[in-house]
Amino acid sequence: MAEAAITAGPGGAFSRRALLQFAGLLGAGSVLGPALAACAGPQTAAGTGKTLTIVLNRNLVSLDNKLNQYDAAVTVQRAVRQALTAIGSDLRPHLVLAESFEATSPTSWRVKLRDDICYSDKSPVTVEDVETAIRLYFQVQAGYVASQFPEQPAFAKVDDRSFTLTTTKPLVTLDSLMSNILITPAAANKAEELREGLGTGPFTVASADSGTGTYKLVRNDNYWGEKALLDEVSISYQEEEGARLIAITSGAADVIDTITPESAASLKKNADIDLIQGPGTRLIHLFYNFRKPAGHPLANPKVREALTYAVDHDSLISSLMNGLVSSAEGVVPKTLAGFAATGKYTFDPAKAKQMLVAEGVSGLNLTVIWEDSEFAGAARVMEALVTMLGDVGVTLTLTQIPKGGEINSWRRGEAGDWDILGNGYGNQTGLALTNLVGQYGGTAEKEKTRDTYHGFVVPEVTALLDQAAAEADGTKRDALLTQAQQKIWALWPAMWAWTPDNVLAKRKRVAALDLSAANSYELSKVQISG
Amino acid sequence: MNDLAIPARVLRGSAAARRARYSTIKMWVGGVCAGIVVLPVVFARVLPLPDPVRGALRETSLPPLSAGHLLGTDPNGRDLLSRILHGGQTSLLIGVLAIIVSGLIGVLAGAAAGYFGGWVDAAVSRLQEAQMSLPLLLMLLLVVALFGSSVPIITLVIAVAQWPEPARLTRALVLVEREKPYVAAARVLGLRRVEILARHIIPNVLSQVLVVVLLLLAQAVLLESALSFLGAGVQRPYPTWGGIIADGRELFVTGEWWLVTLPGAAIALLVLGVNLFGDGLRDRVRRAKAVQA
Repeated sequence: MAEAAITAGPGGAFSRRALLQFAGLLGAGSVLGPALAACAGPQTAAGTGKTLTIVLNRNLVSLDNKLNQYDAAVTVQRAVRQALTAIGSDLRPHLVLAESFEATSPTSWRVKLRDDICYSDKSPVTVEDVETAIRLYFQVQAGYVASQFPEQPAFAKVDDRSFTLTTTKPLVTLDSLMSNILITPAAANKAEELREGLGTGPFTVASADSGTGTYKLVRNDNYWGEKALLDEVSISYQEEEGARLIAITSGAADVIDTITPESAASLKKNADIDLIQGPGTRLIHLFYNFRKPAGHPLANPKVREALTYAVDHDSLISSLMNGLVSSAEGVVPKTLAGFAATGKYTFDPAKAKQMLVAEGVSGLNLTVIWEDSEFAGAARVMEALVTMLGDVGVTLTLTQIPKGGEINSWRRGEAGDWDILGNGYGNQTGLALTNLVGQYGGTAEKEKTRDTYHGFVVPEVTALLDQAAAEADGTKRDALLTQAQQKIWALWPAMWAWTPDNVLAKRKRVAALDLSAANSYELSKVQISG
Repeated sequence: MNDLAIPARVLRGSAAARRARYSTIKMWVGGVCAGIVVLPVVFARVLPLPDPVRGALRETSLPPLSAGHLLGTDPNGRDLLSRILHGGQTSLLIGVLAIIVSGLIGVLAGAAAGYFGGWVDAAVSRLQEAQMSLPLLLMLLLVVALFGSSVPIITLVIAVAQWPEPARLTRALVLVEREKPYVAAARVLGLRRVEILARHIIPNVLSQVLVVVLLLLAQAVLLESALSFLGAGVQRPYPTWGGIIADGRELFVTGEWWLVTLPGAAIALLVLGVNLFGDGLRDRVRRAKAVQA
């Protein structure tokens, strides 16, 4: 009876309960459906129109490079802001905003700006913008770019499009160094990292959030040169390598850069993804602390040399780095102009033990520091070193410094004492001289403020580097650089050093991505097919 | 007579008997689960295992059931079983020490608060509330960041983080006990208040509090693993469960599933085992107390 009472039709097809259940299901479906669908498959923000999605492994922090410039950041920064010159795939400087950049004497350069260049708001680029940019790069505290210049070039305006740059000592590589000074309108430039703003590049900033590291660039339709082929570029970062891997395999990302050897091996098997691999310009080394007092074992070059024989780099390269790195054959990467092969690291634990005994060193306990994720598989390399050094009687204490800037205090010796630093040193000029000056050109004056590379102050080396920087003749300059590199190598500054290959993964639909040795590429030339 | 009045079959089917059986089952299952993890961990140094810190790079990333490596190896060629068992020693050592310290602080503070009342109760209770209002993991990370990440620091940090729970229970139990006639009798006999608390009240509530303290072991192990996972645990290269998982997580997607799954299973088994055992024990203690009453 009760059932008969609640049936809606003669056939009893729809009971009130069934109707309510159906309505409930429909409601739940409409609310949860989209969310469930999103969970079920990858979110493909990429793949629509001509939007390129890049997932970096580090936060871009800003679109400026005054304070920091890791490899992958260059690609994005140069898409918005440009310099007078740029380093090409051949690692040589070529003109960008400058129409000419000529040395008129060993200490003076004359630069003429192109007449067709403008910012994305169509305002013209002036010589005052260049003057302000140079001044501010040198004004900023602990500037990364400024430290690569032996001195600040003096600026003098000649006319509305021309100016001169003069140095007290000859600086023959100024055209390469100036590729790192990005030009911004003088009124918008500050002695700090610029978060957004105008540039002359092929893209403009549509939105930027430095906190989350998310940037959206759109094509600059007022670009003075050849317009970009992409409509939009979306940049984000993801520290988790696994998450980046999932992003590119699922199609949520088009490009991931600086991938680890394990990810490279895994992605090689994926038919939808191309791996681009090439020799890099970044040197990673296990650098000794040169601030040790005279009696300390590490102050003795023989002990430093002995420790290098304990490192089984072939095993490290094959097992932990999948063969994607090359052991250093000198003090700078061999891809750089001016590199000199000064020797090879060899694995000979018996020799290491013998030399340590000969130097009267026993029970040596060393502290190794490195910043988390400074290079791919850093922690694994350091843990392998514990075993290797243990085999020659040296105990290693590992201290991994979390990301967030504390490493700088450690490097300066303010946060604590250490013996060996695992550190990477990038190069965006293609010149060995840049690395050599930045790392080995320390002076007693700079050391007073701890502005040398971990206390490396050898006046003889600094003098050679100064001479090389001033030498206009390429052959003579290379000879001086070779001499300096041999002297540095003889001091055994690093327990081991290597250059990782640049490895980038892209989905097959991304074309014309030309990865340079400096681990960057021109975004404006990248295309998306399909 | 009883047998005649209520048949054994009916007694066995009663709710009380069923609860007793469940608690026994829980204790057995929990004991077995925890034992599978705890016993090998305790005897890790005696077992014929490779060194957990020194590896052979030629044996990099071997999968489970490889020759000589039951659970496989990590990228550094270190035996995963050895690392899990030795890592478990660190986690268990920290966990056990932490619950001893937190139990001690909790019982003393809770008993004092419950028995003396007044300003002592107010101070202890407000302190508990203040601490419980803080986000636990963030507080732990802050302390480790400030004072470093050694075993004593991590132990102390977890112990201090966990004391409110046994303290609250002890306070509640002591509040009940102090009104009982044996306490009044002890007072009449001229015993000092601290003496009554230490010799008569605390021994009476201890069995119930210890069950809660035992349950905290699982939480302490999880906290230690979380700290290690976030990089605030014991320094490398010494293994910890959280550290092994943190190192293996990026390799999970490249096919080296065992580096995350197996230490994760060890943690899950231990936590499940301790919780089941503690739960069963609590039921049994509660029933025994009820029978006593």
